[in-house]
Amino acid sequence: MHATIQKPIEEILGALKPDEKVFVVGCGNCAEKCHSGGPKETAEMAERLKKRGVNVVGFASTESGKSLCKLSLTRKVLMEEHIDEVEQADSFLVLSCGQGIHTVIDATDGGFVHPGCDTIFGGETYGDNIIKEYCSLCGECIIDKTGGLCPVTLCPKGLLNGPCGGSKDGKCEVNKDQDCAWQLIYDRLKKFNRLSDLEGYKEPKNYAKWSRPRWLELDVENKKSTFNSLAGSHTVVRD
Amino acid sequence: MSKLKEALKKGEFVVTSEVGPPKGVDIEHLLKDAEMLKDSVVAVNVTDNQSAVVRVGSMAICHLLKQRGIEPVFQLVTRDRNRIALQSDLLSAWVLGIENVLCITGDHPSLGDHQEAKPVYDFDSVNLVKAVSILNDGKDFAGNELEGKPAFFHGAVVTPEYEPMDLQILKMKKKIDAGAQFFQTQAVYDVKSFENFMNKVSGFNVPVLAGIVVLKSAGMAKYMNENVAGVFVPDDIIKEMADTPKEDRKKKAVEIAARIIEDIKPMCQGIHIMPLGWDDTVSQIKEAAGL
Repeated sequence: MHATIQKPIEEILGALKPDEKVFVVGCGNCAEKCHSGGPKETAEMAERLKKRGVNVVGFASTESGKSLCKLSLTRKVLMEEHIDEVEQADSFLVLSCGQGIHTVIDATDGGFVHPGCDTIFGGETYGDNIIKEYCSLCGECIIDKTGGLCPVTLCPKGLLNGPCGGSKDGKCEVNKDQDCAWQLIYDRLKKFNRLSDLEGYKEPKNYAKWSRPRWLELDVENKKSTFNSLAGSHTVVRD
Repeated sequence: MSKLKEALKKGEFVVTSEVGPPKGVDIEHLLKDAEMLKDSVVAVNVTDNQSAVVRVGSMAICHLLKQRGIEPVFQLVTRDRNRIALQSDLLSAWVLGIENVLCITGDHPSLGDHQEAKPVYDFDSVNLVKAVSILNDGKDFAGNELEGKPAFFHGAVVTPEYEPMDLQILKMKKKIDAGAQFFQTQAVYDVKSFENFMNKVSGFNVPVLAGIVVLKSAGMAKYMNENVAGVFVPDDIIKEMADTPKEDRKKKAVEIAARIIEDIKPMCQGIHIMPLGWDDTVSQIKEAAGL
């Protein structure tokens, strides 16, 4: 999931021009889980803005469990179900991750958007009240050799060949309350009697696979997926 | 050839020390310190934006030391440069006559004075050691041929006081496999624990220069024990320092350092003295340790 946090209301208000007609859009999936832009927070935002004198022409969210970042769905919500209000709007205040924000641009044929949230990371919904980051979306997963724990994400330096000299008592140099990623990796591999997985030189990452923007093409019929980045087109066939 | 390499090759017990460039362009003090070290050591490390604090660059100071007949060790961290800049700086250092490199990951920017900086870490220290080895072979990291190749004497760091030790040793071994030709260590105060470490790594047959941080006070020892990774000052040393009147502390610092050196001398190939501003102690420590 894409973790998001709402921008402070002052920042949102500061981005709007006087008399700008605003339509508020939310996401029923990740943003709902983050309480930053589900159906409830979207309705609340419309009220909060109105109370502060903003001309809110309408609001809508994908239903609970459905993602705003699916273009066909968002187009249906905005351009069919809410078309009367959408047509009046100068802009869309989008309470979702950056992907959802762009989906609103595409769904409204180039409509003007304001981000209502900061997109902070891709995370695991660890509990109802906590979302944690375990993956950096780097395009080249190496955790097979690190006990399933990603040093690119869990180590602030992203070190691939072992810990730096800064960890103390199993804690990270950047924060004494944070476990050293390499201590966690070591403990896990030791538990599974697989410490030998750590042996051998690890090449630095291929950052061309982490280039932006990247895109994925799906050929469902032929069971083909193609990942495109500056490292080139990489196709996998699920045969 | 690198004087450091030569000395180690000859089997001399090598002494190195280090200077830290200032924040700002007033370098007279640093050059004075370096001159003071000149006759006591084989080489002087120059730190690279140490503690993630912006300072005069290591390469520039290494060059100035070289001009003054002082053998520099160019410390290079992977925190601030990607693989293009690292290799370029290495080639630049070589054309300036700098022959020794110490490959380090570097403290995280969050510990320094530009906490909003983008941490680079394109390479880790092992990758950097490998990159220097590849440059020495006449190629760049991407496999392209170089017009004229350097012959760096390159090393890396290791922390003997580390738990779990086998994880530290595993990384040390990776550095050796990548081509590291020498090691300098984090501060050593606990002789027993250093001996234990050296027993485990002596089979690697790569010279180890043990780190000696000049202990200025009991407070400094306690601070390091609590806050500095890989440093452990035993209680008896702390007590010894605490029982010393302020005016005699420098003398005591020399005595403690010399005693540790005498004890660890048979275990390693040299020492790296970090005087932390008490540069005048380096020659005294050498003398007191009988070097």
